[in-house]
Amino acid sequence: MEKAKILVIDDDPDFVDAITPILQSAQFSVINAANPAQGKEKILGEKPDLILLDIMMDSLFDGFSLCHNIKTAKEFKDVKDTPIIFVSAVKEMTGSRFQFQGEDQGLIGPDDYIDKPVKPDDLIARIEKLLKK
Amino acid sequence: MTEPKPVVLVIDDEEFIRDSCSQLLAKDGFRPETAENGTIGIEKIQNVNPDLVLIDLKMPGYSGFDVLDRIQEYNPNIISIVITGYATVEYAVEAMKKGAFDFLPKPFSPDQLRIIIRRGLERRRLILETESLRREKKLMEENFITMVTHQLRSPLGTIAQYFEVILGGMVGKVEPKQEEMLSKARDRLERLMELINDWLDLARMNRGQIVDRFKAFSLKKVLKNIVEFMQPSAQRENVSLELIPYSGNDSVEGDDETLTQVFSNLISNAIKYNRPNGRIKVSMEEKEESLVVDVKDTGIGIQEENLPYVFDQFFRVKRDGEKKSKGTGLGLSIAKKIVDAHGGTIHVMSELGKGSTFTVFLPMARPASDKD
Repeated sequence: MEKAKILVIDDDPDFVDAITPILQSAQFSVINAANPAQGKEKILGEKPDLILLDIMMDSLFDGFSLCHNIKTAKEFKDVKDTPIIFVSAVKEMTGSRFQFQGEDQGLIGPDDYIDKPVKPDDLIARIEKLLKK
Repeated sequence: MTEPKPVVLVIDDEEFIRDSCSQLLAKDGFRPETAENGTIGIEKIQNVNPDLVLIDLKMPGYSGFDVLDRIQEYNPNIISIVITGYATVEYAVEAMKKGAFDFLPKPFSPDQLRIIIRRGLERRRLILETESLRREKKLMEENFITMVTHQLRSPLGTIAQYFEVILGGMVGKVEPKQEEMLSKARDRLERLMELINDWLDLARMNRGQIVDRFKAFSLKKVLKNIVEFMQPSAQRENVSLELIPYSGNDSVEGDDETLTQVFSNLISNAIKYNRPNGRIKVSMEEKEESLVVDVKDTGIGIQEENLPYVFDQFFRVKRDGEKKSKGTGLGLSIAKKIVDAHGGTIHVMSELGKGSTFTVFLPMARPASDKD
């Protein structure tokens, strides 16, 4: 089976550094981008099989709107079905976890969420579940 | 952009007063409104939101004093000035006690009216400015908290991530002694992150204002989301987590974000303090005017003598044996604060070795037609 290609969009190079071995251990190949703009380039250029999108970069809105654009905008037509997982540094549900309030603003949300720090098996499980679809 | 003209409402049964005041007010750059009696006056106040109200004390029917009372109820920031027919001290004092800013004895000259209005509006300006500064300060404090916690959490998150990767064996073989030490370090780090999150929650709660965010929402939906979200966690601990189907009324008046926190905390505890192959059942029921949620687990239970203290801040059960007391001890006290703020109650029943049931009573949202 061909290795799936995962795009990690995150402005924290340490996170990318830490998460790459996790993805590689599950036979995924990893490409990364440091911001939504670079992310857009890589998505259109390399057509990854799944996108891990950190939404705590600069402004929450950048992450949300990139996700929305991928799923709805014309320029992303060829890649609109690429599964997207939001990665956030907010604590699991017990309190301060944001809810995807983007929905209130009419933004299309991601296919899944995962909190940092990610547990390797949890991440792999979620990725595989989305890739199977 | 030009500022809107201050709105001045004149409540007086004498047409002459209403007309002459209106003319003067319009000429001086205000927006005049009038009402010929107290009843209409109260209505107008709610419709036009005046900055300042001139009230004739001597009116048939709804008296000027009654109007003053209503203004205090409705919006104490509106400046009230009473027009007194008999300039006796008692009436003026009575009016001031009821919240009037000043009084104007009849007959009054245009200049006397002008002066008193100007003073009244100046006071209003100061009141509004103080309010706005207070709001700004609050926003800054909230931003400060958000900023500080982000700056604390972010690096901790990265450190924790590295632990996960190393302990997962993904960057090389880990020797037993290394594994042991790294595990302990990782656990300490998790506790630290929980503590920061709990402090953040407490700080946000002490800010109060949960009540301001109240609205009606579906509790079933919230519980469903939480249960779904925590399934992986439960599975990791080999515990089954189930939301019992419920088809009754589930509308609660409250703040969904903090109530999410409450039930996430209860379910998270139920997972943490459970046994392998244990069960967690979350169920809902309507009892009189309350919605009752039970979180029942087959966990290690709580000793009877500790039950009264379970919701105290920083209370953690002392346990012998290897299962050290996990958590910061803040979770349940925060949960209780939130439930209390909703006008509800939280209780616990437990049997050591068998399990615990946490029960939350929440007032149901009244249907819109019941509200006045």
